[in-house]
Amino acid sequence: MRYAEWCTAAPSLEADIAAAAMGLDDIGHSRVLYGSLRELGSPDAGTEGADYNNVAYLDRPWSQWAQFVAANAVLDGAFSLMIEALVNGDVEVLRSRLKKMLQEEHYHYLHGRSWMRETNAEEAVRAAWVEAITWFGPPGGDIDHLHDDGKLGMGVTDLCRRLEERLEAKPPALSTDWKTWDPVRRRTVRGGIDQLTLEMLQGLAEKRYMPAGG
Amino acid sequence: MGYTRVHRSVREYAVFARKLRVEPLRQVGSVVAPDDELAKAYARATYDEERWVEMMIVPRDSVISLWAPGEESD
Repeated sequence: MRYAEWCTAAPSLEADIAAAAMGLDDIGHSRVLYGSLRELGSPDAGTEGADYNNVAYLDRPWSQWAQFVAANAVLDGAFSLMIEALVNGDVEVLRSRLKKMLQEEHYHYLHGRSWMRETNAEEAVRAAWVEAITWFGPPGGDIDHLHDDGKLGMGVTDLCRRLEERLEAKPPALSTDWKTWDPVRRRTVRGGIDQLTLEMLQGLAEKRYMPAGG
Repeated sequence: MGYTRVHRSVREYAVFARKLRVEPLRQVGSVVAPDDELAKAYARATYDEERWVEMMIVPRDSVISLWAPGEESD
């Protein structure tokens, strides 16, 4: 959704098109993931902003292209690594279904890394990186337990190391207070997606434009 | 030769693709990018609407032209 907001605002026409394409990819990825989760018995999320388990970086629209670049390189990168860990885990429904995602996410990675070189995005990258590490969760936590059980191909240390390799930079000093970490939403910051985006996600915004009785 | 647009310097890349193995590659378009990686991402994002079995990009300045419309051969 945040990618889509930039499909007419990126610095070049090619980047506009890439933003739209990556947004479409990620909508497809969400559909596959939600379908898989439902099959695995996970209940559907609620409908309030705080019910969405998104990283706080996505709560508000980005005002700078550097924020897009940071999300693309760091958060999309962290997401891809988690998908890779699931593909290399032993949950069959995830192993088989998520492989195509990795092929598509590879192009998101190329896009993000190249733009990172072209943009002065250090501050935004640092902010996104802290959120990515926070999303991976505390060492010795649920991700490491899933890794020990064989459900994930990587634990927290591997995920953080691989992210560092992908970004070819030094990670930020982490100041996450794990005591305030919400293990369901995988974040420390309260709040959620802005109301307008929430209404668009749920199709409520479109309903306003429907003819009466429609 | 590179030229400046949004980036300090960019190259133009021709995009080639085919739908069947028996078909020859044909040029389906072009992209402009500062490096090969972004050019790959742009080519895929822009021209992925069809089920290509192969896609490749070539920097325009790496193509050696023998002749073009209205020109004599070397």
